[in-house]
Amino acid sequence: VNDQTEQIEPADAARALNEIGRRREQVIRRTAVPAWFYWASAVLNIAFTADTEFLHGALSWAGTALFAAGMLAVIGLQLRTVRGAPLRGDLVAPGAGPRVLASWAVFAAVLVGVTLAIKLSLEAARVPYPGMIATAVFTVVFVPGGLALTRYQTAVLVRRSGGRG
Amino acid sequence: MTAPGFDELIHAPTRLSLVAFLAATGWADFAVLRDSVGLSDSALSKQLATLEDAGYVEIRKAFAGKRPRTSARLTPAGRTAFDGHVLALQQIVAGTAGRWPSPAGRPGSRSAASDGEPAPGAFHPDQRFPGQPGQG
Repeated sequence: VNDQTEQIEPADAARALNEIGRRREQVIRRTAVPAWFYWASAVLNIAFTADTEFLHGALSWAGTALFAAGMLAVIGLQLRTVRGAPLRGDLVAPGAGPRVLASWAVFAAVLVGVTLAIKLSLEAARVPYPGMIATAVFTVVFVPGGLALTRYQTAVLVRRSGGRG
Repeated sequence: MTAPGFDELIHAPTRLSLVAFLAATGWADFAVLRDSVGLSDSALSKQLATLEDAGYVEIRKAFAGKRPRTSARLTPAGRTAFDGHVLALQQIVAGTAGRWPSPAGRPGSRSAASDGEPAPGAFHPDQRFPGQPGQG
């Protein structure tokens, strides 16, 4: 007879299982793209577009360098957070990873497609500042869309890892 | 296939949180573990040392520039013990505890028969319970 397991109440075992699921979900959530990442990227993109449309010469190059440094810093910060406790590759059921990657690819394709289409259309219609207008639309889609995408991906990973959805 | 095995060492609340977190990740930074599980530096060091002594955790000390960086991860033995513990907990919740011969393994632990096969009618390690987490 397994005497140790008989000493543990089912309610205690359920609490322990709940705690295990909660910790698994904690690891998944801390590797998700945070809201500040989308906001910071949007601000940098607006600044970069303003730089290319309004500035010229050395000032424009300096702005481009600042944009590149800013994006590297934002991505580096997020990577450092993820590297602190990376999600185990085999934690989620097969299929969840490709699904998450596919959702990123679709999101990026829609963003690039919409932004380019707006910019080219505005240029063809000789509307002033087509880049700034297209980037404004990009931001309106990118931030809320990115936040929704992150929520979707996190939910998929939590559900497919067997934890609480 | 992992055999169910209740593990007293893992079941202690603080260590359960710690091992459950480690089971979901690879190498985890000391600072991340401390903040995520909500322990002081000394309490975390003590728990990690206990788990390391049991062979459940591997600790790595490296330098990031001039700053020391300590990380920890579950060993294969720790992962097996954790998976077995999860199965034992699921078995308790399902009310089928003690339906196979015991024990084997390290002192303080409980596991399935030495051949790893449960008795007829016992909980199957691959079985999942609705609403319960799967194997970590």
